[in-house]
Amino acid sequence: MNRVDRAEVVDPITTEVIRNKLEGIANEMELTLLKSSFSPIVKEGLDTSASLFTVKAETLAQACAIPVHLATLIPTIRSMLRRYPLETMREGDAYILNDPYCGGTHLPDIAIMTPVFYRGRVIAMSATMTHHGDIGGFSPGSLPTNSTEIYQEGLRIPPLKFREAGQYNETLVALLRQNSRLPDTLMGDLNAQLAACTVGARRLQELADVYGADLLMAIFDELLDRSEIMTREALRRIPEGTYRYVDAMDNDGIELDQRIRVEVAVTVRDGTIAFDLAGTSPQVKGPMNCVPSGSQAAAYYAVRVLTDPTIPTNGGCFRPVSLKLPQGSLVNPVEPAPVNARTSTIKRIATSMVSALAEVLPDRIAAPAAGTLLVVAFGGMNADGKRYIVGELIAGGSGAAEGLDGVDVVDTDASNCMNLPAEALEMEAPIRLRRVALRCDSGGAGEFRGGLGVVREYEILADGVTFTHRGERHYSAAPGIRGGLAGASARSVIRRAGGAEEVIPSKVLTVLNQGDCVIVETPGGGGYGVPKNRNTVTNDIANGKVSVEAARRLYGHR
Amino acid sequence: MNSTAATAPRFEVGVDIGGTFTDVVCRDCDSGAMRLVKIPTTRANPSAGVLHAVQHMVSEWGVLPQQIGRFVHGTTVATNAVLERKGAKIGLITTDGFKDTLEIGRQSRHAVYSVMLKPETPVFLVPGALRREVPERITANGEVLVPLDEAAVRREVGDLVANGVQAIAVSFLFSYLNPAHERRVAEIIRESYPDLMVSLSCEVDPAFREYERTCITAFDAYLKPVIDHYLENMESDLEANCVGSALQIMQSRGGVASSHIARRRPVRLFLSGPAAGVIGGSMAGEAAGYQDVITIDIGGTSADIALVSRGKPLIAAEGMLDGYAVRVPMVDVNAIGAGGGSIAWLDGAKSLRVGPASAGSEPGPACYGRGGEQPTVTDASIVLGYVDPGYFAGGSLRLQPELSRRVIDSRIAKPLGLSVEQAALGIHRVVNANMAEGIRFVSVKRGIDPRRFGLVPLGGGGPVHAAALARELGMRRVIVPRHPGVLSARGLLAAPVEHEAATAFHSTLEKARKADLEREFAALDRQCAELMRIEGITPDVVDVQYFADVCYVGQSYHLEIPVVMAGDTMAQVRRDFFAAHDRIYGHSAEGPVKFVNLRTVHQAPVAAGARFDEPCGAEEGDPRKGVRPILTEKSGGFVEAQVYERSRIKPGVTFYGPAIVEQADTTTVIEPGWRAEVDVRGNLVMTPGDLR
Repeated sequence: MNRVDRAEVVDPITTEVIRNKLEGIANEMELTLLKSSFSPIVKEGLDTSASLFTVKAETLAQACAIPVHLATLIPTIRSMLRRYPLETMREGDAYILNDPYCGGTHLPDIAIMTPVFYRGRVIAMSATMTHHGDIGGFSPGSLPTNSTEIYQEGLRIPPLKFREAGQYNETLVALLRQNSRLPDTLMGDLNAQLAACTVGARRLQELADVYGADLLMAIFDELLDRSEIMTREALRRIPEGTYRYVDAMDNDGIELDQRIRVEVAVTVRDGTIAFDLAGTSPQVKGPMNCVPSGSQAAAYYAVRVLTDPTIPTNGGCFRPVSLKLPQGSLVNPVEPAPVNARTSTIKRIATSMVSALAEVLPDRIAAPAAGTLLVVAFGGMNADGKRYIVGELIAGGSGAAEGLDGVDVVDTDASNCMNLPAEALEMEAPIRLRRVALRCDSGGAGEFRGGLGVVREYEILADGVTFTHRGERHYSAAPGIRGGLAGASARSVIRRAGGAEEVIPSKVLTVLNQGDCVIVETPGGGGYGVPKNRNTVTNDIANGKVSVEAARRLYGHR
Repeated sequence: MNSTAATAPRFEVGVDIGGTFTDVVCRDCDSGAMRLVKIPTTRANPSAGVLHAVQHMVSEWGVLPQQIGRFVHGTTVATNAVLERKGAKIGLITTDGFKDTLEIGRQSRHAVYSVMLKPETPVFLVPGALRREVPERITANGEVLVPLDEAAVRREVGDLVANGVQAIAVSFLFSYLNPAHERRVAEIIRESYPDLMVSLSCEVDPAFREYERTCITAFDAYLKPVIDHYLENMESDLEANCVGSALQIMQSRGGVASSHIARRRPVRLFLSGPAAGVIGGSMAGEAAGYQDVITIDIGGTSADIALVSRGKPLIAAEGMLDGYAVRVPMVDVNAIGAGGGSIAWLDGAKSLRVGPASAGSEPGPACYGRGGEQPTVTDASIVLGYVDPGYFAGGSLRLQPELSRRVIDSRIAKPLGLSVEQAALGIHRVVNANMAEGIRFVSVKRGIDPRRFGLVPLGGGGPVHAAALARELGMRRVIVPRHPGVLSARGLLAAPVEHEAATAFHSTLEKARKADLEREFAALDRQCAELMRIEGITPDVVDVQYFADVCYVGQSYHLEIPVVMAGDTMAQVRRDFFAAHDRIYGHSAEGPVKFVNLRTVHQAPVAAGARFDEPCGAEEGDPRKGVRPILTEKSGGFVEAQVYERSRIKPGVTFYGPAIVEQADTTTVIEPGWRAEVDVRGNLVMTPGDLR
């Protein structure tokens, strides 16, 4: 039905009522997932999402707590539909997939989808994706930092039936259980996903009872068209042109001296936006590669930042968006390249896409943020013989903008993680945090100062602690704009008990012993405007954000 | 009787000071009669409202100040001091290396889809220059690793005082396991500066996670001088006006405490007003025979939703204030951006949207005639015939219906090609869908099926939307209390005196011994009992309850489980934890379980009568005021609704929608197909017509 014919049956009030309900349904699905999942990464890290899809595999409504998940289910659902067309689906079916090379993201993220039947016909699809605790491969948690091919990262699941007409696929279930280090958690979380899909399906069926399936599906189409119209309108308000941004990531953890180039060209024209990543490095040996769904999530994040935040998010918003991802590159790797550590790549792509427009949209786009999340993990045996693994994700500073200093130590762009309290860390592991402090002088100087990074100093209290450090921005910095200066680069050192200092080359996997200290300093955000024009440097000094020396040198303060 | 009878205390007074109105309820304990009045709030000096209330009672109601036996106050002063940044200048003292904890926070953000970020930690409480570190360290086992450097404490305190701080917050790592160092700092401060106010994290919030504990402790110090001044003034004002009774203050958990105790812990007052509303709602529900209710308070800018299970409002361990997470227990009130002042607008694709922007009370809805140019939900209520423009807020504000029609017509109806009435109905359908999803979400989050619950609407807007919301959610009972618009003030009189104390207790259930629990609870009991003694309450009327925060080992969130000390306590806690986990999270499994915090709650309930349980009569006269046409979603077109005056409907009378029940503080819409009955306690109970 085209929009003109549809106008005969669809009224604007009912359309908005249904939209409110669809958002409520997606939120209820997400809540069901968060509540009924077992794995801590879902509960603590909110690493999960729930979506409703139209029968044409466009997003109808989505709930996700972190942008990494934005629309990542789209290629998954398309892949399932290619393998199992609508007319083959039966009531009680549920489909499963995790293979990044079949539309997934990385192997721990498993998607479950159920078709929503109403009177014998599929009217929509209800889908969820969850980061699972373990899906095999050569390291617990299925996120090996040194993998060189995907087979090392865990079990690959192509599009398959997880349930058929209400009956579990016992063969598949047995295979899944056999391949996970945490089979009960895996099955518990898969069932939580099914429960969430069922909530979505049931509530959609209740809506169909009230409004009728035909009207409901016409309204779905109308909602997508409306978001498309508004997105195109918002894109038309951005000055037309092609905007470029180039950045470098440190290394892939395997070839430590090899920097990784990220290049983005954003073309805004006639209500459309195209992201071309030509010029980005070829795929790398280590697991930083990112399959297309990751760049897509980054692009949709960028569109949400660049357009009107009141536009209801659904597949209509994504229609004016296109991506060019060169084959064999970091952002479109060729099988069997490893991909599990793609989050830092998605974050950098997202920041680059948005930052490309900072000069033309100065009132809406701040200077680049540090855009990194340092991963540190400590593992070993406690005095009472119990194994422990504690990990944390540590942010840097955000970028400054006209009238707005950057925020110190805050997660930005595609992720949104909490840090670990000292009191939680010290209860779990033989480690003492000696210092958690704002990193003086790390914010990019400017009339408006970039946000500061953080210093965390760990003292190791036992021997034989395995230590993983996956950094970024050790060899680059978040640039300033409009005369503002770059934020500080990251810097991490290990100070051995004997006094020797080892500078960490962004990534390291090593062993620490009693008396060793690790000091990490995360990067700052870019500054905005000429530093000389800043008139609150005295406060900055008093509050410990700028040193007297830097105040003189960078701000001309006396 | 002798002459003292005339001055014997027989009245109790509840005063709820809100942003726009001060609501006053005066109850005669002898007759049960209730009087109420709304007085405009004096923004510059809100406590003046209390004196106005006393004067009003004397001059209009003939109440002598000496006859007031209880004076209960709900206040927004703590919240406003934060919103307006009018707290004290304070200093913060922390463990060496951790002065920036308050500013760093937890590093996550609320504004996910923005790159124009603003700080989400309350740096304004105490900037870096006034945050100081001293050498000391307690380990994760509670042992002293580095002794407190007392010379450093003296130096830093002296310097902070020289910088003009009015209060000092102290937050050391692991002080919840060993408070010795924090306590010693308090002593040192007292030696040199006996009048300086101090907040210790081990007393404000003795629980793990240093940012949350430091943050709430800093809030406490920031508010202490302000609240102290405010309540002290109020106490002396009341005394000067011959009100001899103790002043009681509503706290965020829904219990009251005497003013001089409340002054010690100002962060417990953040939700003083809304908590009273929920208490009022739960009491009204209970009086009508429903212990499980959902309250929805629909005001100008937001709808506040709360759940009451088995007669008790659900308590949240932390809440939000001005965008900051504050870890202090409070009635779990969930606000959504939909209210009477919510603005209806058309987006770029001509979809009809409602809120979250609000016209507030200035300029307010278009019909207020104060220059509001945007159509609001209240304007739609006028067009639909729900609200009588001549009888809004008891006639105190004369509304202009033609302004409502004009803005809805020009901004919504014309662009959409609808009639004004259809557009107005559309505004209600959209805002109701939004509120219904809000209620559903809050219920599902707590593992509750809203269909099993009664709905108690409050605030001026609640009863306008209640029937439509209940229909939308499949709820079978709506209980409209006698005075929904002043339910907060009324709830003040129904709340128990309550004192609560908590302590961190990290131990697995296997390792914990019952003797340890007994010892910890006994210590907490002593704290609460001392406070009750100060209140002048004898132990025989105090109800004592124990709770434990419990989680699976490895989980970082926990559930509050009641603890019964008789019998096999540990086994019972384990069973109850599994059951609660299953109800709320949909599953539970055998596995190691641990304690996180222990808590004791002492409550002294108010006398019967104050709890909404007295019979309520009706005034003489015919309750029928005439008919007027209303339009509802289910009525198809305008239908003639019988209009009733609430105060004249006699208990036991049953009538059917379409009907409108009017009263000074609100209007109740009874949709076609619904049945309404006033019960003996004055509640108006609505049910779908098919239910007998």
